[in-house]
Amino acid sequence: MKLNAEELKKDFPILKRKIYDHEIVYLDNAASSQKPQVVIDAIADYYSNHNANVHRGLHTLSEEATELYENARKTVADFIGAVPQEVIFTKGATESLNRVAINWALHNLGKDDIILTTDFEHHSNLIPWQEKARIVGAKLEFVEADEKGEVSAKQFKDKFEEFGTRIKLAAVTHASNVLGTILPVKEICKIAKEYGAKVSVDGAQAIPHLNVNVQSLGCDFYSFSGHKMLGPMGIGVLWIKRDLLEGLEPYEFGGGMIDEVSFDAATWAAAPEKFEAGTPNVEGALGLATAIEYLEKIGMDNIREHEIELNMVLLNELQKIKEVRILGPLDPTKRTGLVSFALDGLHAHDIAAVLSGLGIAVRSGHHCAMPYHVKKGFSATTRASYYLYNTQEDIEALIAGIKEAIKTFS
Amino acid sequence: MNPNDNIYRQELMDIYKNPVHKGALSDPSAISHKKNPMCGDEMDLYLKIEDGVIKDASYTESACVVSVIASEILLEKVIGKKVEAINKMTKDEFLTDLGLNLSTSRVKCAMLVFEAVKEALEKYAGK
Ligand SMILES: Cc1ncc(COP(=O)(O)O)c(C=O)c1O
Repeated sequence: MKLNAEELKKDFPILKRKIYDHEIVYLDNAASSQKPQVVIDAIADYYSNHNANVHRGLHTLSEEATELYENARKTVADFIGAVPQEVIFTKGATESLNRVAINWALHNLGKDDIILTTDFEHHSNLIPWQEKARIVGAKLEFVEADEKGEVSAKQFKDKFEEFGTRIKLAAVTHASNVLGTILPVKEICKIAKEYGAKVSVDGAQAIPHLNVNVQSLGCDFYSFSGHKMLGPMGIGVLWIKRDLLEGLEPYEFGGGMIDEVSFDAATWAAAPEKFEAGTPNVEGALGLATAIEYLEKIGMDNIREHEIELNMVLLNELQKIKEVRILGPLDPTKRTGLVSFALDGLHAHDIAAVLSGLGIAVRSGHHCAMPYHVKKGFSATTRASYYLYNTQEDIEALIAGIKEAIKTFS
Repeated sequence: MNPNDNIYRQELMDIYKNPVHKGALSDPSAISHKKNPMCGDEMDLYLKIEDGVIKDASYTESACVVSVIASEILLEKVIGKKVEAINKMTKDEFLTDLGLNLSTSRVKCAMLVFEAVKEALEKYAGK
């Protein structure tokens, strides 16, 4: 069923705002999405009616809060094809990825082992590996995007054939925040498995837009943030495959994660509590669960179809502007709902500023992927990223704005 | 007010489109390289100093309009001045002089050239 973006817009109070007398055109969803009223209401309802610490009390409020929190975990688990025990709440994708690096990589990698990744990762899926590799003497190896901005499973296979079981971990993004490219994660997992390597997936840009099932992907870790998928900031998820839960050490220590404590030592609770020391972000978990229910009502397949249509329009129009250079695949089905581009002779900052004056929000910069930008000779690019509430008119406004920017500066 | 009405007004765009201080100096007394990691702006700054006076100054950049305009205005001011005087110039004086009424994120763009000049002078002093 085709979704009606114009109607959905009404669910998002912030989209009624005016910017310098212009209707707001929000095209910075890859950085953070807006929130529907139901999510805002769920958070207010929690604090108005149920707030108390979780797992700590027998009183009614504490029991309600605990139940809401654990139900939220179940909603997340169902959404990604997991069981609740495997779902660990974090503050976001960055924390989730760092946890894999600290809890798993630091304990399981040694000298000359290899972490395989790509050359266009977000800094959050690069620096944690660099840091841990430096400590244990491991190395990073990069699969490079081709001239279309794509990578194939074959390129990963070639790396495994070259380095064999020295590769202990493949740490890849599911979808690129710069190129938009969707990676063949399922095939990568299959290849990695043949060599006994683990796979950690950065799902921050994939989960808002695609049907994700961690079981069928076959990965070991999957990380994402709530705020890019209509949920609140400060909540994210680290999914860890069940077989690995037992062998992993906790990350933080304190209340809520113990089994027994004496003056000298302690033993741990089972997952997921083992990995969630301290008072958790209950409101965030509820907000995220509410966002997921909202997304499910619309249907992830419908969202995907809508974004491919917008991709088609934007890619088409951008290709007609001679100054524009597009990053990533030109096939609208090979990317999520985002397009980054550079304009010859025009700095990304100025484009974003002109667009901002017209009420259009886009991102300019290197989008936390500095090495890739430097390698490709872009000092900065402009990125438009959309979601279920963006209409064809939004894309048309963007194109008109880009043309106006070109006129202003030439 | 829409800040763009201010930044992208005609006389500033004329400065942007006809820069006079852009390019490298052949025999500089000091060079600095500055980067704004948030937005990717980059600049090389060149100073020619004789007898405590800045004789010439120029820049090469991969940067936005605000950064270029700020560079043109600042270098125009710096050339012919004593090193001492420019050392004393504060960030606030520079921004007031510029008179662009910039939003927070764009103040950083303007500051690039200011920091580049300061760094080049420090390097010169350290020689
Ligand atoms: C691909 C990718 N990974 C990781 C992150 C980090 O997410 P967060 O800042 O929510 O922790 C982002 C967000 O910008 C992203 O786009």
